[in-house]
Amino acid sequence: MISISGLFRDLTALVDRRRVLAQREDLLAYANDATPRRVLPAAVVLPANPQETAAVLQYANRRRIPVVPRGAGSGLAGGATPCEGSIVLDLKRMNRIIEIDRQNMTAVVECGVVTGRFHSEVESLGLFYPPDPQSMSVCTLGGNVATRAGGPRGVKYGTTKDYVLGVEAVLPDGSIIKYGGKSVKMSSGYDLARILTGSEGTLGVVTRVMLRLLTLPPARQTLVAVFPELDSSAEAVSAIIAAGAGPSMLEMLGRGAVDCIESYVPLGLPRDAEAFLLIEVDGPPEKVERDCALTGEICFRHGAREVRVARDAAEAAGIWSARRALFPAAARQARNLLIEDATVPRTQVPAMVRAIARIAERNQVTIGVSGHVGDGNLHPGIWADRRDPELMRRVGQAMAEIAREALKLSGTLSGEHGIGYLKSPYLEWEFGAEGVALMRRIKKAFDPEGIMNPGKIWPGGETGRAGS
Amino acid sequence: MRDLKEYEEEIYRCSQCNFCLALCPVYREDLVESSVARGRLNLIQAALLERTVPATGRVRELINRCLLCTNCVQGCPSGIPVDDIVRAARHELLKEHGPLWPEKLLFRQVLKRRPGASSAARAVTWLRRFNLLPGRIPPLADPPFAERVPCGSSRAGGGRARVAYFVGCGTNYLYPDTGAAVLKVLGENQVEVIIPEEQVCCGMPALAHGDFDAAAEAVRVNAGILASLDVDAVVTDCTSCGYMLRSKAAGVLPPDDPCLTQVLAVAGKTVEITEFIAGMGLNDIPASKPLTVTYHVPCHRSWSPGLVSAPERVISHLAGVQLVPLQEPERCCGAGGTFFLTHSALGEEIRERKLNDILKTGAQMVITQCPACRYYLTEGLKGRGSLQVVHPMVLLAGLPAPAE
Repeated sequence: MISISGLFRDLTALVDRRRVLAQREDLLAYANDATPRRVLPAAVVLPANPQETAAVLQYANRRRIPVVPRGAGSGLAGGATPCEGSIVLDLKRMNRIIEIDRQNMTAVVECGVVTGRFHSEVESLGLFYPPDPQSMSVCTLGGNVATRAGGPRGVKYGTTKDYVLGVEAVLPDGSIIKYGGKSVKMSSGYDLARILTGSEGTLGVVTRVMLRLLTLPPARQTLVAVFPELDSSAEAVSAIIAAGAGPSMLEMLGRGAVDCIESYVPLGLPRDAEAFLLIEVDGPPEKVERDCALTGEICFRHGAREVRVARDAAEAAGIWSARRALFPAAARQARNLLIEDATVPRTQVPAMVRAIARIAERNQVTIGVSGHVGDGNLHPGIWADRRDPELMRRVGQAMAEIAREALKLSGTLSGEHGIGYLKSPYLEWEFGAEGVALMRRIKKAFDPEGIMNPGKIWPGGETGRAGS
Repeated sequence: MRDLKEYEEEIYRCSQCNFCLALCPVYREDLVESSVARGRLNLIQAALLERTVPATGRVRELINRCLLCTNCVQGCPSGIPVDDIVRAARHELLKEHGPLWPEKLLFRQVLKRRPGASSAARAVTWLRRFNLLPGRIPPLADPPFAERVPCGSSRAGGGRARVAYFVGCGTNYLYPDTGAAVLKVLGENQVEVIIPEEQVCCGMPALAHGDFDAAAEAVRVNAGILASLDVDAVVTDCTSCGYMLRSKAAGVLPPDDPCLTQVLAVAGKTVEITEFIAGMGLNDIPASKPLTVTYHVPCHRSWSPGLVSAPERVISHLAGVQLVPLQEPERCCGAGGTFFLTHSALGEEIRERKLNDILKTGAQMVITQCPACRYYLTEGLKGRGSLQVVHPMVLLAGLPAPAE
């Protein structure tokens, strides 16, 4: 084991010393992401380019020092939580938008570009980058690629994985690979961009991303539908999509979620309804008008007792910012909040919601349910308290049961947050022994020494190191 | 002010979302997470509460590397009072290490404005001349505003309202022209003004440095004076004084303090002057020459919801004056009270962004209701054209801004 002062000296030989942090006082700020576990890394390096990243990786690889890549540290699955003795690579300094190509509708960005900033840049040119994780004011495109992040617009536009045309990545041995580019079509070799997308820093470090862009929809409209019953709201969801109304966002809020939001950003929603649908339609104005009418009508036909259409863009923005406030609003009430990310086929949403209620009762924990119901991506928020080990045990149990239930309903462990350390124990439930074995071989091919983000995706201390 | 220990639960309640990353002017420059609220809270928790990390020089450095601009607080989804916690942490450090002598001189003599304050202020001027004070201390007005106007007396021209004018240290020592403008505009609009004698600094600077005792003393003195007056409002031209009087003063005192009722009474009446004028409407519309201005919004704005839009509302009365929007008008200018004195390089980096945005507007004048912003921006704009930075009241009073 190398000493901290030795590590600091070595790292400052590779990177400007002002961009190496090794004092405990500074490391405390890097001990966690938005999940409860805290582990102090041995050092933090803030590389300014892929070459510095490569130098640090090569050094760490030779000495088998674990490396944990980090974007905004806002992840909800624990993918950026450091491990003992690790070097954290804070990638936020690489934050240039290299190019926005209007003719080809593509962009080249460095990994540290903040997603929200990228949105405003492309939108100012009449272009559109749909993936909209709710932490977009801080999260980075590199982090989004690493976790295949998505958001409410996923129902119509998919998630980050659907926009990555290519990547530049640094592998643990220090080699820099480039895959893909501006071609929208590409049928050449293994899709390395796809393998790295969603790899949560366990294979290498994505330093640059080539992204596909769309044109900005000229119009959009927001509706809120109030349902006395959960089931009817879920039927309305399927009907809206089947009718081809093509909502760009379709969110469900349970009564608890609405209570939570109302106490934080009052929208004046009724408190006695069981479910609320927040819907946005976008496109050319005449299509928006038609889809809006159609959606409202379908909601009424399925038992909505009230449908409100936002009067103007400001009211619509208010509704969506209230939706964004749900996580924080809930966080004000719970000591710590674990946000689950189980995703099921949209028709199974009511079954999943009911199962979650049973799981909450059985384990005596509080779980608030909301989610991107249009794509079946639920976000049960489990109330936790880091200081209460007994409660944390029950929370862990509830998480495991939610995972099992989602898989039973033909769903997946994670829709858009990733596996991190929180769900790594369940990986085999989803992919079976054979699937996991193949993934392990892929991991070893990229990272034979097992230095990349140990304990993430792969359970416990397992690193996937060759020979282990 | 509450002891750091009493914030333990609130620190714990931080959801660790890191949304403060987007809001912190310091982080924006140095891109290191230990500069951001989440990292700082975790540090305070470990070093000053759980004591699992020794309270080293680096701990102090990181705790002091905060502008107390409250941008993170205003945007915090979990509503964590980060600025209160940082102040409490500074108080904790102060208890252990004691105040530095320049701070003692400033908080306990100059800002108290007691007999001898003028000589203390003069002493500052001398020390400054011989470079014996850290950083670039601004030149002080001689005589200060409070010695230029007859205090205590009601001024002529009443009828519409009667107000007490709380004269902040910025106006008193740096910008007497703001005070003159406030009196002129209020007088012309039939507002009777009382300038209470013996008012002292609002206590915010002492509070920011963790000197809770000095802050509490200031709060008691001012509350005693202001609460005894029969007035419709207590007006202030300084957003930080207003923040103190309205939102922070009560918290400085223990819950059973006999002055608390007075403090709360004053808090309920405190209004920022631009907002006061905007709400009242102008009787006399001053003639104005064609002028383009841009508005830098002070950080201490959350205590009054109408404060941010007030300058635009009053300017709309001035026919020739056109308001040009500033990019990110609410982003901190880097002054942070006295932060720019102790962190000069960092302050200048933060300011540079603001100056570039200001210059991009092409405006001929900058308005802002904070004297620290005014001073710091004025300094930064030297040699970069003829832009003046003034309080909106100066513009409204039609007074020429003083030559710098």
